[in-house]
Amino acid sequence: MKNKSQMKIQQMAFMLIAVTLFFVLVGMLVLVWKFSDLRETATALEEKEAMLLITKLANSPEFSCGRAFDYGGSACIDADKVMMLKENIGKYPGFWGVKNIEIRKIYPEGEEICSLGNYPNCNIIRVKGDEISGNYISNFVALCRKELYEGDVYDKCELAKLMVSYEEQ
Amino acid sequence: MIKKINRKGQEEMVGFALIIIIVAVILLIFLRISITKPEKEAVESYEVQNFLLAGLQYTTDCRDAYEFRSIQNLIFDCNDEKDCEDGRKACDVLKSQLTEIIEKSWQIGQEEPVKAYEFKILSDEVEMLKIARGNITSNKRGAIVPLSRAGASIDIIFSVYY
Repeated sequence: MKNKSQMKIQQMAFMLIAVTLFFVLVGMLVLVWKFSDLRETATALEEKEAMLLITKLANSPEFSCGRAFDYGGSACIDADKVMMLKENIGKYPGFWGVKNIEIRKIYPEGEEICSLGNYPNCNIIRVKGDEISGNYISNFVALCRKELYEGDVYDKCELAKLMVSYEEQ
Repeated sequence: MIKKINRKGQEEMVGFALIIIIVAVILLIFLRISITKPEKEAVESYEVQNFLLAGLQYTTDCRDAYEFRSIQNLIFDCNDEKDCEDGRKACDVLKSQLTEIIEKSWQIGQEEPVKAYEFKILSDEVEMLKIARGNITSNKRGAIVPLSRAGASIDIIFSVYY
């Protein structure tokens, strides 16, 4: 009788341990999934924010191609306009809330920094600030300008990246 | 009688312990899979989308009687089997320029975040041009830009594998 009771107690103890272990593991599994979702949500939000900032910049009147170019879509930047903006960037203190704005030609590529002296035979337009450093976001844009060919003006668009770095906190 | 009860109890305990071990092992395997799941990098499909939109506007060195052709125009020229003013075939110029643009824009390799890419142009769902490089992985981001002109329906599909 005593043995039977001991057996029952042992069975109960095992049962309790097993149930506890089971719920602990299930809980851990749920937590891992939850945190994994959180990370994905945070990444998605960061992506969205970066996209919004770059899109906002590229589509702002100071940058966008507008109707001056045949293919002036949402990812089109007017290089001529941007060069003038670069020369007058002092008139826009804190306007975009970013530290640096740089437009770098991807194709054709090169390391020549643009100034009024060498434009358009250059590759990097530092619109605001110095060289991009630290954390930055970027996206592809078409960098368009007006060119002359045998006396006719035509639209010349190249592939570039609009790069923006934030103010350091 | 007591021996019989004891054996029965022992069998129950062993069976129960086995069930617990099996359940625990299954749960641990699930945990391991979910923890070691390859972390997705912050890959931007909008980046691919913008690449396509910006790339289509690129002005090539192929000129017709009126203007230098953009990639977008060159795609239609290629579809219509047209030539550039200097005699080159629109399709040849399109392929060489696109290959260069993609290679400069998307560095691929084992050390790079991008492992492979695949660029396709479909004309009425028939493959017109394909540029692919690298080893395809399961982590893919892509974009499609549909174009249509004079009855021709063209889809430009670009996929990047991380």
